[in-house]
Parts: sequence; structure tokens; C-alpha cells
Amino acid sequence: MITRRVRYEIMSRAGGPMLMAMERWWRRQRGRNGGGTEGLFGPPLESTRKLKELTTLHYLAGRFADGAVPVAWVTSGFPVEVLRPLGFHTVYPENHGAICSVKRMVPELSEAVERKGYSRDLCGYARADLGSIAAGKTPVGRLPRPDLLCCCTNICQTVLYWYRALAAHFRVPLVIIDAPFVYGEARPHLLAYVADQLRELAETAEQVAGRKVDRAALVETMRLAREGTRLWDECLRAGRARPSPWTGFDSFFHLAPIVAMRGTRECNAYYRMLRDELNDRVARGVGGIANERVRLLWDNLPIWFNLRDLSTVLARSGFNIVCATYTNAWAEAGSMIDPADPEGSAAKAYVHVLLNRDLPYKLSVMKRLCREYGATGAIFHSDRSCKPYSIGQIDLKGRLASEAGVKGLLLEADHADPRSWSEAQAYNRLHAFMELFE
Amino acid sequence: MAPMFVALCIDRPRPTMPEWRIMRAATISAQKKLGRKTVAVLPVHYPRELFTAMDVHTVELWGPPGPPRGPDAGRIQAYACAVVRNALAFLASGGADAADAVLFPHTCDSIQGLATLAPDFGGWGKPALRYLHPKGEDSPSARAFVRAELAHMADELARLTGRPLAIPRLAEAIGLHARIDRLRGALLSRRAFLGMGDPALYRLLRRGEFLGPEDHLAELAVSARGLGEVRVQRGVPLMVTGYVPEPMTLFELLASAGAFVAADDYAAVGRRVPLSPPADDGDPFDTLAAKAFTMPPCPTRGADQDVRMKYLETLYRRSGAAGLIVHVQKFCEPELFDVPAIRRCFARIGAPLLYLEGELEASLSGQVVTRLEAFVEMVDAGRKAP
Repeated sequence: MITRRVRYEIMSRAGGPMLMAMERWWRRQRGRNGGGTEGLFGPPLESTRKLKELTTLHYLAGRFADGAVPVAWVTSGFPVEVLRPLGFHTVYPENHGAICSVKRMVPELSEAVERKGYSRDLCGYARADLGSIAAGKTPVGRLPRPDLLCCCTNICQTVLYWYRALAAHFRVPLVIIDAPFVYGEARPHLLAYVADQLRELAETAEQVAGRKVDRAALVETMRLAREGTRLWDECLRAGRARPSPWTGFDSFFHLAPIVAMRGTRECNAYYRMLRDELNDRVARGVGGIANERVRLLWDNLPIWFNLRDLSTVLARSGFNIVCATYTNAWAEAGSMIDPADPEGSAAKAYVHVLLNRDLPYKLSVMKRLCREYGATGAIFHSDRSCKPYSIGQIDLKGRLASEAGVKGLLLEADHADPRSWSEAQAYNRLHAFMELFE
Repeated sequence: MAPMFVALCIDRPRPTMPEWRIMRAATISAQKKLGRKTVAVLPVHYPRELFTAMDVHTVELWGPPGPPRGPDAGRIQAYACAVVRNALAFLASGGADAADAVLFPHTCDSIQGLATLAPDFGGWGKPALRYLHPKGEDSPSARAFVRAELAHMADELARLTGRPLAIPRLAEAIGLHARIDRLRGALLSRRAFLGMGDPALYRLLRRGEFLGPEDHLAELAVSARGLGEVRVQRGVPLMVTGYVPEPMTLFELLASAGAFVAADDYAAVGRRVPLSPPADDGDPFDTLAAKAFTMPPCPTRGADQDVRMKYLETLYRRSGAAGLIVHVQKFCEPELFDVPAIRRCFARIGAPLLYLEGELEASLSGQVVTRLEAFVEMVDAGRKAP
């Protein structure tokens, strides 16, 4: 145990940074490959290097985490703040699924579980994650075995079924935070229910970690989480400038720390750096794309495996994604966190996330984003494997057009699985959509 | 209240209109004459007792089967399940206009989405009720939440009916539904001792989706008298699991192939019969809250996979079934996520398994008919093999 802990600390604090420095040196030697997109985009964000370091170090430390520190696999909308003071190393299977998709590994991983009876119609993240376990393959080297599974239903019910399957596989405790859907405003008994579950969660997590939650540390974590959310919001708000200093596709990648490292100093330090860089670019008039003509909103998860191509097609015609309901979701509810009332305020914050709210609320968010960011068009990613985000999009598209004058495109794809992506058909529709703005 | 035997007095169905629709319409009309409000209910779990106590007639909406019709059919993507796509098309085309409200239980992401799409963006202009049941295991917080949701639902129904809940009426309704549950449980668990064929049995059980509880109780009681001490079903015993038995011609086909359903785990049927009566400590709300945790494990309630597999295996062994049909709706995530575990569980005990995926079709395809017939033959041959 002590040896493992020492190895984990060394990799987290020294070995990892050293490897990252070597990788930077190697990249410099190799030169930068623009991939034929030179001139379309603004200069790369310097912060991206730091982002890569952060995520690489996180996954590198993870390889040595089991047996050294308690490990929790956690859904992206889980109130992770409770776990931080207990020293859990957290793994986000959804984040891992996104990495698998970017690396185009999902078809192979999915087929591994389809052979076991999982339907191809299920969430691509779930298939990637369960497939990674079944096939023993991952682009991050190795994921630590969980001691605890933590699932919150505020992003979808899918995670509940997915984590049930994980619990049956790993034979470890599963904590469910059942966050009932909010129609209009959350009723008091709903908030009390979630707060009660958070207290029950703390008890289970304490048993797994073998120690008690330090209240002062919890309060500090909550403060950091609230601050981190604010900093992420400030990064996004930089996109209101014309030209936007980055693209929505950049923001999808830079979302990782607020999802996976929320409530840590590293997360907040990173977003301060990113915010300052974005504001500096705004001051200098540097855009995310070279010739920004039309500003768009993105709805739903990214099409992870195709971000580069899609951003290039848009940038060639001067279209920039300047705001997204997905990235905004992580900037919204965090302001409700009150360090003085960790459970009560976390219950409020975590049930009020975008995906857990009704369509009139989603429409109001879209209208506000379009107004504040000057978006005159919207791309609705109709995501085959994310039903909760996609149901209602056809109406939302119509209402955004009729009530806010924002033209919309429904683009069918999948957030993780390229087998559900028809490139010719999608680009045909995208080009026809872009012609509407001529 | 005296049973009305509405179902028994209904005219024979006209060939141009589906039987289910004529019977539902006639039942709603009869219940309205009694001064009862009608609520159309989406699947799966909801506190029927509360509705009965408030003189509210519930009519369940499992689709309906067949392709979605009308301009609203295209408002939900084709990769969502047929239950919600058909329901939206049905509601928006006026199919449920006789109802005074719609109830959307918190069953899955798709029904949750429909619960805001139809009332907020068009398709349903009358009151929309939502019942949020907890996911996962029994716990003090979950019990407290169910109780609060029940109280909230009682308030909503009071607004709908214009009269408050009378607690003694709720206690009576709990008793009435407990009798219904007991009879449904007996008919299902002692299936082999009942002379009635599967098509008739399932029509009977599914009439509970729209008949007034007194009427349903009366016809259940009549049928339960046919339960004997001697095993009368001699066909190939099968177990079924899935969401909803549609198309219902499935049972006619099984019967003609020489099989019968010895055990049922459909969400619409067997999974709504409590495993044991809830503890009655005098407070009807507590009794109803307790009932939510006495039901068979159901993925729409967030059941633990291991617990569910143990339950299915026990059900299978007790019933003497010789094969399992897994009959799920395409795109139904709660059911689909459990399929690999079911396959593993039944492969381990050497049980033959047939996987069917449907989209609420109005009739069985030739391919499915062939697969079912072949499956029954295979199971039968396996039973007869030395």
C-alpha cells in the first residue's frame, strides 16, 4: 500500500511533469503539422498545452491509483465535491469515452460489447466504456479499477443502467444520486430528497475511503467548485467578442477540467490562465478562425470523432461556433453552490443542470445565448445515442427560428460512434444550411 | 361500489376500428357518466390507488401499436422508442381528447422528454401530471420522497376533480387494488392450472389498463374460479420478459405452435404485481410508499442487475418454463441494458433464449413468426430428448 502510494505520488508530482516536458521537446523537434488548415484558424491557444498536460497527468496518475488511493468512477454531473476531501482519485468514463471517440476507437470497442448482447442503439459513451473493459483496450494506457461507483441521474437515466452494469462487473458499491427531472421550478421535497441522498453518499464514501469527511476541507472544495464554475463562465463569455477569440470546438476540449477536476486548485489555476489568454486575444482582435462572418450556436454533445473536419468545413466559409448549450451547462448551475451549506446548495445546483430541465427552460437558454453571443444560426446535433438531449430538438429548432429569428440545422450523428455518421449527407445538409446566410 | 361490468356490456367491435380503441372509448364514456374524471397514463408505474380514491379513471397509453399517424409523428426522432413517438402522435391527433389530463410517470428519458414536449410545445393542451418515482433501492430518503410525491399528486388530483382526498377512501382503494393484485398474481403464478388460453388471459390482464378497478376485479374473480388443483396446460412452457406484449397476436401464435406462457416478466404485466403485500401501519400514504418497494425488480425503477437476475432465475425455475423469450422494444434503454446480463444468466443455467426486438408493430412479421415457431419446436425437442 505504502509503495503504491509513493509510486502514485511520484507519478502525479514528478514523473508525469517530466514525461510531459519530454513530449514537448519531441514535438518541437518534429515540427508542427498544420494538416492543410493553415490560414483558416487563428493561432493555437497556448493554454492547450497546459490542458494536455493536465489531462495526461490525470490519466497517468490514474494508472497507479488503485491500491494507492481510493478510486471512484463518476458520472460527469455527479456532485464530486463530497469525494475530494476523502482523497479519491476520480475517473470519468464519459470523458474516457470522448477520448476513445477522438481516437476513433469506438467501433472496435463497441463491437466487443455488441458481441455480448449490448445494442448498438445504446449510448456511445457507455458502449465505449463497457467495450474498453471487455476488450482490455484504452487509449489512456490503463484505467484504475474502481473502489466506488458514483452515478447521478441529472444528465440522463442512461448512466443509471450503465453504472448498474459496471457494478455487476466490478462488484463494488454503487452510489446513486437520483435527481428527479425539474418541470418549471424544483419543488422543496425534491431538493430535500437529493440533499438526503448526498448525506447518505458521504457515509458510503467514508466507509470506502476509511476516513471521515473533514468539514473544513469540504467547505473549501465547494468554494473551489463555485469559483471554478465562475472562471469557466468567464472563459466562455470571452466568446461574446467579435471575432470570438476561440471556436466552440476549442471550448469542447477545454471543458475537460471543469468536468473532471471540479473543486481542485489545479482546475481553477488552469481556467485563470485560459481566461487571461482569451481576454488578451480579444484585446488584440485575434479570432478563433481567421475570417469570422457568421456566428453559430451548437446544441447537444460534440461529434467527438469529427471535430476537426467539421470545424474546417465551417471555418472555410467563415462560420464560427461561438456558444454551445453543452459547454454553457457547466457554467450555469455552479453559482448556486454555497460553501456554507454544502449538501443543500449542492442539491439545488445539481438538479438544476440543463439536461435535467424542461424544454421551455432549454429554449430560454438558447435564446439568451444567441442574443448575448450574437449567433444568428444554430446547429442542432441530433445525437442518435443521446436521447434526452435530442428529444425536443425538432421543436426547439422551429421555435428558435420563429421566436428569435435564428436559422437552424438538424444534423444527425452520434457523439461517439462514427458508424452513425454519413459524411456526404451531413456535409450536403451543412452546405445547404450555410447557403442560407449568403 | 357495485361492479358495473362495463367490459361485458360492450358492443362487439366493428371491423374498421381496433378492438382496444372501441373498448377504451366505451369504458371512458361509462366512467364519465359516473362523474369520474379520466386521466390517460403513460407507462409504467404509478399509484393507481390514489386515482381510484379520487374518483379518477385511468386509461393507460402503451403506444398505441402500429405506425405513428398524423403530422406530429415526426416531432420525435426515429431513434427514440415507438412508445413515445406513437404516444405523441396519438395525443396530438386528438386520440386522447376524451381524457381530462395526462399522467407522465418518470419511467425513462424518453417519457420524461415527452412529458415536457407535448404539454409545453404542443400536442396536449389539458393538464399534464408528472409522477416522479425514485430510482434505486429502498432507503429512508426514497420513502420520504415517494410519500411527498404522493401528497403532491393528491393535491394535483384535487385540483382536477375539485374535491380533496378523503383518507378513508384511499384506504379503501388500497384494499381494492390489493385484491386485484392478488388475483392477477394468482392467475400468473398458477398459470399451468388455469384452463384459459394465453390470448384470452392476456386480453383479460391488459383490460386492467383501462377498465374501472371494480369491473376489472369482477372479471378477474370470475376467471380465477377456473384455477384448479390439476395442471391443465400441457404445452411447451415458456417465460417472457420485456416491456409490453405487442402485438398481442404473439400469444395466438405461441398457442398455435403448442406453447404457453408459464411465467411473465413484462413491465406492463408481471412486473406490476407486488411480490408481497405492503406493510399496513395505518397511514395509507406510508402503505402506498411501501408498495413501491415490494414490486418485482424493474429496470425502469433502477433495479440492481444481480437482484433482477436472481429474481428472473427464480421465476423461471418455479414456473417450470423450458425457454425464455426476451421481447424488447427497439431503442428502449432500460430494457436493452439488461439484455447481456439476462443472456449470461440464462446461458449459465442452460435455458434456451429467443431475443425479439419490436417497434410496437400492429402485427407479427413473417420472419418473427418463423423464429417463434422454430424456437418452440427447438425447446419442445429439447424437453423430449432423453
